[in-house]
Parts: sequence; structure tokens; C-alpha cells
Amino acid sequence: MISRDNSMNKINVYIVLIGLTVLLLFTVILGISVGTLKIPISQTYAIFMEKILNLEPSNETYSGVFWTIRMPRVLMGLIIGAGLSLCGIIMQAVVQNPLAEPFLLGISAGGYLGATIFIILGSGVLGAFSGLGLAFTAFIGALSAAVSVLFLASYKSSITTTKLILSGTIINALFTAIANFVIVFSGTDNTISRVTYWTMGSLSSAKWDNLLLPTIAVCAATIYFLTQYRTLNAMLQGEETAITLGVRLNFYRKLYIMLVALLTGILVAACGIIGFVGLIIPHIARALAGPDHRRLIPVAVLIGSTFLVAVDILARTMIENIELPIGIFTAIVGAPFFAFIMIQKNYQFRD
Amino acid sequence: MNLTVENVDIFLGAKKIVKGIDLHVANHSFAALLGPNGSGKSTLLKSIYRVLEPRSGTIYLDDLKMKNIPVKEIAQHISVVSQFQSNSFDFTVKEIVLMGRTPHLRALERESSADYQLVDEALHKTGLYELKDRSISKLSGGEKQRVVLARAIVQSPTLMILDEPSNHLDIKYQLEILHIIKKLGINALAALHDISLAAQFCDYIYFIKEGEIKHHGKPKEVITKEILKEIYEVECEVYEDSRTNNISISYYSI
Repeated sequence: MISRDNSMNKINVYIVLIGLTVLLLFTVILGISVGTLKIPISQTYAIFMEKILNLEPSNETYSGVFWTIRMPRVLMGLIIGAGLSLCGIIMQAVVQNPLAEPFLLGISAGGYLGATIFIILGSGVLGAFSGLGLAFTAFIGALSAAVSVLFLASYKSSITTTKLILSGTIINALFTAIANFVIVFSGTDNTISRVTYWTMGSLSSAKWDNLLLPTIAVCAATIYFLTQYRTLNAMLQGEETAITLGVRLNFYRKLYIMLVALLTGILVAACGIIGFVGLIIPHIARALAGPDHRRLIPVAVLIGSTFLVAVDILARTMIENIELPIGIFTAIVGAPFFAFIMIQKNYQFRD
Repeated sequence: MNLTVENVDIFLGAKKIVKGIDLHVANHSFAALLGPNGSGKSTLLKSIYRVLEPRSGTIYLDDLKMKNIPVKEIAQHISVVSQFQSNSFDFTVKEIVLMGRTPHLRALERESSADYQLVDEALHKTGLYELKDRSISKLSGGEKQRVVLARAIVQSPTLMILDEPSNHLDIKYQLEILHIIKKLGINALAALHDISLAAQFCDYIYFIKEGEIKHHGKPKEVITKEILKEIYEVECEVYEDSRTNNISISYYSI
């Protein structure tokens, strides 16, 4: 990968973090103002202040679009981008492999299966659609996918990159197939179209009330993993080294996988499968800040947020009056990126 | 901390690799584990640093059974130098060496200036100071090996376990590494390949073959042509060099 000759000193990290924050704010403002209805950037500030100061909105239409449609959507993008990047980083530390990612390892597919079962079979039983129930079944699906992948990849010998990616492919195929079976077997036209759109990932369902759970989960996970940087760094040094440095490796591995599965489940429940973010963002962040998790996590979370908000702007505005699923865009960027990593010469793709 | 290994059996799969080994390292001594490839040296060491679990037998740190001590506490007392495990994450030399402080720090505790001083000292001792900001992937095999040693020193152990620490190193650094370990004045147990170097630096020698300790004693007592013939199946002469006072081994061609 892109390597650094010198470690970055503290001042540089702060500059990077400030720069990224500014970039994120700029992207958020842009995300609020562009769309089918264009809100002039000069107006966004006014609308924002009016709401904060509880004044009568000067432009009802702008204010309505701003607060009920754009704002939750942009915030959802921000949260999901941060969460997916974090999931990628943690998975990569757990398996000591920079190619691990919830989507590539089939964990997202597990979440998809869980969520599909809930939407098609469960929501009928439970009556009202419950965000918590959806997130829970998505978590169970994601967790069973994660456990299956790790079991397959480590069966009878230690985990290698090849085995890991292949296991991910297998689990991905299997879980997606089961989910599709459920859909074809018992879906109605309405649920089918909803689920299909969902497999491509979209932020279009973002509302203030379904924003709460992902926000809490992503914030809590980010804070928790920021406190775990030393354990994460030791994990990257390999199993033996981690143990001899006093890390309870098996315990933390299991705990981290559980948390990643939980987070992935919540994210998938909120906006479907958005691939490759957990792969691309940690790579870029490592190139900027190095592999030390103390710096890597905040940098990656900021880049991830900015990236997803930006990609969502593209998805909304690229073709007029048509909204494309965001997963299409992350895959269009992500697939060539993955290929680029693979053909990098100095990259350790061997076992 | 003193190490006592008592009647330890270790299996890899169905195969018994280590058979009833007893071993003792105490009083700031440097003990060597010598034996041919596949004799069970690494396997035994792995069970001491808890990557493998013995099927039976007990390992003690001072008077405590090792399996009853938390991993983190063990890591505050034992550090390990084994082959550098390469990975795809490009830390700098200094970052890796600083990780030696991991067992001594709580989750959010910042490294103190004392910690950084230990790192600097270890970097100087191992001749890595000039390379401290270099990323690990740009180092040679020998340099990586010294990074591992520096990290193990920073861990401030009272017992150091070394698995062929001087592989990949040219003679200058082989001598230096063994000298550094000797000078630390802590208990050390090292699997070594070079019999003469072991004789020169170590206080006590265990000869291991086919998973059993065949002979043990002070270097000059156990490094004899008869024992070397039994352990390594080679013919040789052992004599003391009058200028260096070291044991010297000369092998007959087969």
C-alpha cells in the first residue's frame, strides 16, 4: 500500500483532523442544498438560524425540505459512512488483514437475510413495523454470517487472506440465496420491490425517527473503540505477539466481532447493503495517518462520513428526477479500488 | 521471576512433541535450549509463553502456577523474542517498540516520558535509533529481528524467552544480541542453533532431542564430543581456545 517514510507527528494529525472536519461540514452543507429542489447556500444558513432561534421560517418550502428531507438524510449518510468505516477497521484488526470488510466477508449479507426475514415474515406477525426488531434480526443474521466466515476460514488451519476472502464469498452467496428464496417464496409485490431496492443500499428512507438508533450505535462504538487502540494495535502484530504483549486475544476477538456484527446489523437495517466503504476508507485513512488506531479511527470516521454524504449527493443528482441506489456508486468506486489493491506488487496477498 | 517447568507433555494434534520435560531457570541466569531441528524446542517455548497449552505437567512462575496468572500480568514479567511476524500494516520502528509497554499501561493511560525513555534506550542498545522513524516494511530481516528484541526489552521483563533470536543476523549482531541479553541480568531461556555461542554466553545448557532433555549442565560439562555425537549425530572435536578461553568445536567431514 501507500507507505510513509516518516511517522506523522501530532501537529500534522491535528491539521489533518481539522481539515477533514471542515471538508465534512462543507459536504454536509452542499448535501443539504442540492437536490431536485435547490436551496441556495446563502439560504441554508438563514434556515438553520431560524430554526435554532425558533423564528417563523421566511421560506416555508425551503425550510420544510431542509428539515424533514435533506437534514435527516445527510445525517444518515454521515452516520452510516462513519459506522461502515469503523466496522472495516475493526474487522481488519481482528483478522489481521487489511482486506476484511463487512460486505466482502458476507456479514452485510447476513444482516440482509435477517432483515429480509423480518420484513417479509416477521412484520406481518408483529403487526407494526418496529425499527428495533428489524435491527435485532439483522444483527442475528450478521452475527451468524461473521461466525460462519471465521469458522470456515480458520477450520483446521490458521486464517489466510485467500481462505478469508473465499469464505466471505461462500457465506455471501449462501445468505443472499436464502434471503432471495424467502422473498420469492413468500414476498408480495410490495415487499419484493422494497427488499430489492434495499439490496442496493439507499439513504432515501432516512427520517428523524429512524436516525436515532444508528446514531447512538455509531457514536457509542466509535467512543468505545477509541479506548481500545492499544489492544487493536497489538492485534495487528499477529496472534503470538498479541498474546505475549498480554492481550486476551480470544476474548477480545469474540467481543469485537460481536460488536461489529451488531453495528453492521443496525446499519444494514437502516439503509441496506452499502459495499466497499469499509475497505476503501480505512486504506485511505492509513495512507494519511498511519496504522496506529489512536490516529486512524478519528481520521477514518471523518473521511467515511464525508465520502458517504458526497456519494449520496451524486446518487441524488446525477440523473435528474431519478434517485439511484447509493450502493451502485460505492461499488463503482470500490470494485476498481479493490482491483488496484490486489495488483499492487508489494501487497501481501500471499498466505 | 524464576521459571520452573515440571514434567510437561505437549501434543500437536495426535503427536507427542514434548515428553515429560523438567527445566529450571533462576537467579538471573541465561539458559540455552540446544538440539536439532524438530526436537521440540520451539514447541516447549510456545507453551511457556502460552501460545500452546501443555497436555499435562505444570509451569510455574516463582511459586505460582502460570495458568492461574492473568495474561496481562504474565506479560509484565515475561517478554518473548521470536521470529518477526510480518503483516500488512506498516508501523514505524518506534511505534512497534513502544508497544512493548502495552502490558504495563491501562486502556486510556498515556505513555509517560519514562516509557519513551525506555524506548529510546532500547533503540540505542539495539542500534536502531537512526532507523526509528523508518517503516517496518523497509527493514532487512536482521533489522526486524532487532526491532523485536527492542520491543522485548521495553517490556521490562524479569524473564525473557527467545526462540532462535540470532537467526538472520550477521555475526556482529549475533554477538551483540546475546551480549545485550546477558547484560540485562534477568532470567533468560533461549533456543539457539550455535553451540559455540551458547557456550560462550549461557550459564546453563539443556540438550533436547526427540522431545526429551537428554543432558543438562554447565557449558563446559555438557558440551563434549560424545554428547554432541548423541544429540546431533556428528563427529567433532571440542577444545578450549587458549586466546579467547571459549569452547571451540571443529567438525569432521562425513
